[in-house]
Amino acid sequence: MSSPQVPLDTVGTAYTTAPPGAVRRKRMSSWQRPPYWMMLPSVALLLIIVVAPFAVSVYASLTKLNQYTIAHWTSAPFVGLENYADAFRQGNALGASALQSVWVSVSFSVVTTILITPIGIIAALLVNKPFRGRRWVRTLFLVPYVMPVFVNAIVWRMLFMNGWGLIDQVLATLHLASKDTFWLIGPRSFWAMVVADVWSSWPFVYLMVLAGLQGISSDLYESANMDGASPVRGFFSITLPMLRPVLGLALLLSTLNHFNNFTLPFIMFGTPPSPQADVLPLNVYITSFQTFNFGLGAAMSLMTLILMMIPAVFYIRMLRLGEATS
Amino acid sequence: MIRSISAQHRFWNGMRAVGIALIALFIVIPLAYIVLISLTPDTQVGGGSLWPSHWAFENYAKMWSTVHLAQGIRNSVIISGLAGLLATLVALGSAYVLARFQFRGRKTFMLSLITIQTIPSVMLLLPLFVIIVVIQDAISIHLVGRYFTIILTYMTFALPFACWLLYSYMSGIPVDLEEAGSVDGCTRLQVVRYVVIPLLLPGMVVTFVFSFLLAWGDVLFASVLTSAETHTVAVSLQTYVSSGESGGDVYWGQLMAASLTSGLPIMVIFLIFQKYIIGGLANGAVKG
Repeated sequence: MSSPQVPLDTVGTAYTTAPPGAVRRKRMSSWQRPPYWMMLPSVALLLIIVVAPFAVSVYASLTKLNQYTIAHWTSAPFVGLENYADAFRQGNALGASALQSVWVSVSFSVVTTILITPIGIIAALLVNKPFRGRRWVRTLFLVPYVMPVFVNAIVWRMLFMNGWGLIDQVLATLHLASKDTFWLIGPRSFWAMVVADVWSSWPFVYLMVLAGLQGISSDLYESANMDGASPVRGFFSITLPMLRPVLGLALLLSTLNHFNNFTLPFIMFGTPPSPQADVLPLNVYITSFQTFNFGLGAAMSLMTLILMMIPAVFYIRMLRLGEATS
Repeated sequence: MIRSISAQHRFWNGMRAVGIALIALFIVIPLAYIVLISLTPDTQVGGGSLWPSHWAFENYAKMWSTVHLAQGIRNSVIISGLAGLLATLVALGSAYVLARFQFRGRKTFMLSLITIQTIPSVMLLLPLFVIIVVIQDAISIHLVGRYFTIILTYMTFALPFACWLLYSYMSGIPVDLEEAGSVDGCTRLQVVRYVVIPLLLPGMVVTFVFSFLLAWGDVLFASVLTSAETHTVAVSLQTYVSSGESGGDVYWGQLMAASLTSGLPIMVIFLIFQKYIIGGLANGAVKG
């Protein structure tokens, strides 16, 4: 290590005798070269932990990989697109067909997003203007969002318990439904899942809208007020149009997140869930790890990915739009 | 005219109070029920009694021995904390290069970060496990069940969002200061350490919190990649529920006490930093 330092040193002294402009140019040009090594850890990690497994999964979706062939998974029989065809056929004994799960997942993400948007907007508007105790209200509004998903799922599982859960008891006292409504199995499980999810995810829209509201100048409202516009009018003519970009982003991210939601139904219903609540990620899990049909599971998750790319492409388009305007 | 404006004011203030009260009720009722059940003796929960005959504070004592709760919380703190910290630091390097330099493949890289976020995590579980086992066999060091493995997994899952978040923060910081640093003869690392990091600290806090949340809330990977010694608290709580599925009784009282206890640290962290987080989302999301 010490011997090569001698020639380096002479090079260094050689530079100092050169004109000062040359030194600066040399330094600036090396300064402008991107330090690619700083990206190396991210790229390496993403390659090993996300991209490589993804590639394996794409390959597996074309093979008959199951509990018999997993030991020699590299030589599992190649079956082409057979898994994809299977995914559209009847479901197995343990769950719904992939097609039905696609339907459940799509309706789940659309319904929850439609429900949480107005709640989030209203909540953000309520705490946007200063008042006494606003800090505490803002803190309270964040609590459901901060609660870990697994805790949320356990709590709602208990609230919806048949016979003694709080929701059944309250509904029975109000004579709205019988104590044996069975929220966690059958067709109502979808709505139980929606309610649990709305409770925990509306603060996401609230946070995004609150952030967006900070970018709207109060001058706009003042001049609207001067012109005699009512607050309701102000909301539809100023707030909503100004919030459009944030809201669009919030709705897309919310749809994507909900589509990928695995933990909530997994813990709330256990496996296997009722077909009405068998969202695609959960169905993939059951196919892969309970019926050990890894090839079919991989094919189903690729189909999920393609479905999710539809909103993602919109999202990317929007980001490009943002780049063009700024 | 003036009176009508003040009347209007009073009307909207009233509306606001009603609105806040409604939302607060929606939030508080389930929370209050958790607290109530956590203080109800396990035997009374299934009976459907809304008010316990006595306050079962023993739930908070028994929960530590029924499952390895203390160990789970400790593991979760270690795993989520390190994953959050490392994700923030590693993403900082990428975000710096992405925000400060134009180069070929920059846009492709940023788009692929978004694409990676849409990959369903269930899809990666088995192949990732297989790859880890292959590496483990190749270097003959045990990897499954180690802190190291699960930390690297979580930090990588947190990376795409962390890169985007830090990138949008970095874009908001003027480049002049760094150039001044370079003229003064700082090396690249010194500039990042003494100029970029202090200015970026609020953004780094937000990035850390979101990465931490991701690691803390995961059940799927923790259940496969951790062993009995490295189980996270999410897996510990699962033990309560799965005992019910296999036909036994679920200790609801203890489960609620344990859920509260395991949710509390993360709530406190989030609420401490909430000012940064709202500001950070305003910064990152609006500019996006």
